[in-house]
Amino acid sequence: MTEALLEQVINGLMMGSVYVLVALGLVLIYGVMHVVNFAHGVLFTLGGYLGHFFFTQWWDNYWVATLLSMLSVGLVGYALERGVFRPLNGNLRNQVIASLGLILALENAVIALWGPNALQWKVASTEQLVSLGELRFSVHHLGIIVLTMAMITALGLFLKHTRFGTAIRATSQNQEAALVVGIPVQRVQWSTFALGSALAALGGCLVGPLFLVFPQMGDVPLVKGLAGILLGGMGSVPGAVVGGLILGVTESVSTLFLPTDYKDAIAFMVMVGILLFRPQGLWGQRVRGEE
Amino acid sequence: MKHAMKSLPSLLAAALLALGALAPVAHAQNKVQIGIVTALTGPMAAPGVFQMNGFKLAAEELNAGGGFAVAGRKYSIELKVYDTRANPSEGATAMQRLATVDKVPVVLGELSSGVAAAIAPIAQDYALPFILTVPTGPNLTEQNNPYLFRVNANNHQLNVALADFLTKQGWSPISFIAWNNDAGRGGVSGIKELLPAAKDGYVGYFNLGEVDFSSHIANVRNSKSQAVMLFMDEEPGSLAIKQIRDAGLKLNLVGTLAMGSDRFLKRLDAQKLDGMLQYNAFPPNADVPRIKKFSQTYKAKFGEEAHGFSAQSYDGLMVAVAAMQAAGTVSDGKAIRDALAKLNHAGVIGNIKFDAKGQASPQVYVTQWCANGSRRILYPDNAKAGCGAG
Repeated sequence: MTEALLEQVINGLMMGSVYVLVALGLVLIYGVMHVVNFAHGVLFTLGGYLGHFFFTQWWDNYWVATLLSMLSVGLVGYALERGVFRPLNGNLRNQVIASLGLILALENAVIALWGPNALQWKVASTEQLVSLGELRFSVHHLGIIVLTMAMITALGLFLKHTRFGTAIRATSQNQEAALVVGIPVQRVQWSTFALGSALAALGGCLVGPLFLVFPQMGDVPLVKGLAGILLGGMGSVPGAVVGGLILGVTESVSTLFLPTDYKDAIAFMVMVGILLFRPQGLWGQRVRGEE
Repeated sequence: MKHAMKSLPSLLAAALLALGALAPVAHAQNKVQIGIVTALTGPMAAPGVFQMNGFKLAAEELNAGGGFAVAGRKYSIELKVYDTRANPSEGATAMQRLATVDKVPVVLGELSSGVAAAIAPIAQDYALPFILTVPTGPNLTEQNNPYLFRVNANNHQLNVALADFLTKQGWSPISFIAWNNDAGRGGVSGIKELLPAAKDGYVGYFNLGEVDFSSHIANVRNSKSQAVMLFMDEEPGSLAIKQIRDAGLKLNLVGTLAMGSDRFLKRLDAQKLDGMLQYNAFPPNADVPRIKKFSQTYKAKFGEEAHGFSAQSYDGLMVAVAAMQAAGTVSDGKAIRDALAKLNHAGVIGNIKFDAKGQASPQVYVTQWCANGSRRILYPDNAKAGCGAG
């Protein structure tokens, strides 16, 4: 049983890491623009497809393909901010509707370009195995956890210790005040949108080789990423990290005691349970005037 | 009037020409249209190709020999194909058209048990014999529909053979990972009933689109099972097998017939498949003359390994023709149905004889993957053969 528990904790950390990548993008974008981008899951899918495309068509180096995919999806994110979300600035309802519309548009664009069937993405790191006692994991599996942790650390340092990171934090705290002290808020907004989109693409490129690249691959990570930021506290970066990991580990450990069908229900019940006692989320702060 | 007189010769000439064009047709053989319902697009498009290949091969063979004789007249086959897209309402429209517009004497095909269940009653309404060649849902032949026949083995027959084999191995406990739908849940409960001696391992169901099997795998490991049965088709099957092998589980893998073809091998490497078992309706490389001949013809024409769906569909069309010949009609559905019920046909998949419910009982095999990517036959005992024969 301890073995099964260890196995599920590691599996949970892996899926949780993927949720964290999605949650981080969502939370950064929410922070500077106050909009929840529901099309974030499709950017995750697009990232997986573009990574697969660069890998199979251009250069079969996984890291290069992943980097190119992150750059391309970052550009898509930039275009979406300029073309869709900026013009609708100040109208939350329309922004939400637009992001729902983008799901349809982007998902069908993916289907039109690559077809409805799942693609296999064969990467060497999914074939190399590491043994932990009786348990065995692929290098890729463990690599997702390590890489996400590294990414989180880098992002944390960037936000805390660079000028631009400080500008992002300032913009999320108070847009008008940021503008007053001379922060280029619009530039902060589009670059944050691009950064968040690139993180989603990274998520797609990480799970694609482990499983399959298919048009709906971003659906579950989006929902879990949203749940992660609610759990951690809307707008809080450390909250998104902890929220995503708690969801991942809870749902996978729960399958040892309950049928796997209940996996999603358990994850959301934990979320509801925590929010009952801390409505602002684990890391969130109560903001006066915001309910 | 003058105008009319002037055009009379040209009219006559046209009439003569038309007659002349018709004349050779009158002497040539007659065509008989056979209705085909299959999935050419949509989620079942890939297996649909195998089904169509079987029908095409049979039709070509029948036509190449100058057609076939029914009541002293020669006929050639023309396939009237409708794409049901694995969708019951598309299927119903197709069946309706075949019965009322095309007026075919017999309909064959379908892949999805759901579509077959929706359209079989329409065939019955129009007294139109309907021969299934792929769907495996056991209930289809339990509806007291005298016009429905099934060439291929149903899930129950497949399970009986597999359970017989598994009982001899004595594996216990046995775990299951299955689709969270009728086929998966029905399959698990069906085979568990047939394996009373085996202790219950873990039983887990997954939903369409689920790609991460790690939770199931942890539970299977925890249950100390000696075997795990995967009730699913190619795509999730290849993911589950890879994840089970990568996780280092040391147990026997048992799969469905979707996991016993060269097509499946392309998704995984042979090393991962080595030792995996699956029930199988058609071992294309078996050393049996009828199977060998079919496999060679198929490979020559389509450039790939013959598939069970093709062999079953090939036999289906041959059975339909044999029934029309026995009934001496290419239009009377009732007479063709009666002939089908009495028919005894030597097909590629074995002898085809329908029981009172319209179900044939073809041989079911258990095959196993070898390390070099070939397959061996383990069951039935009289067909046992080494690597390369499965």
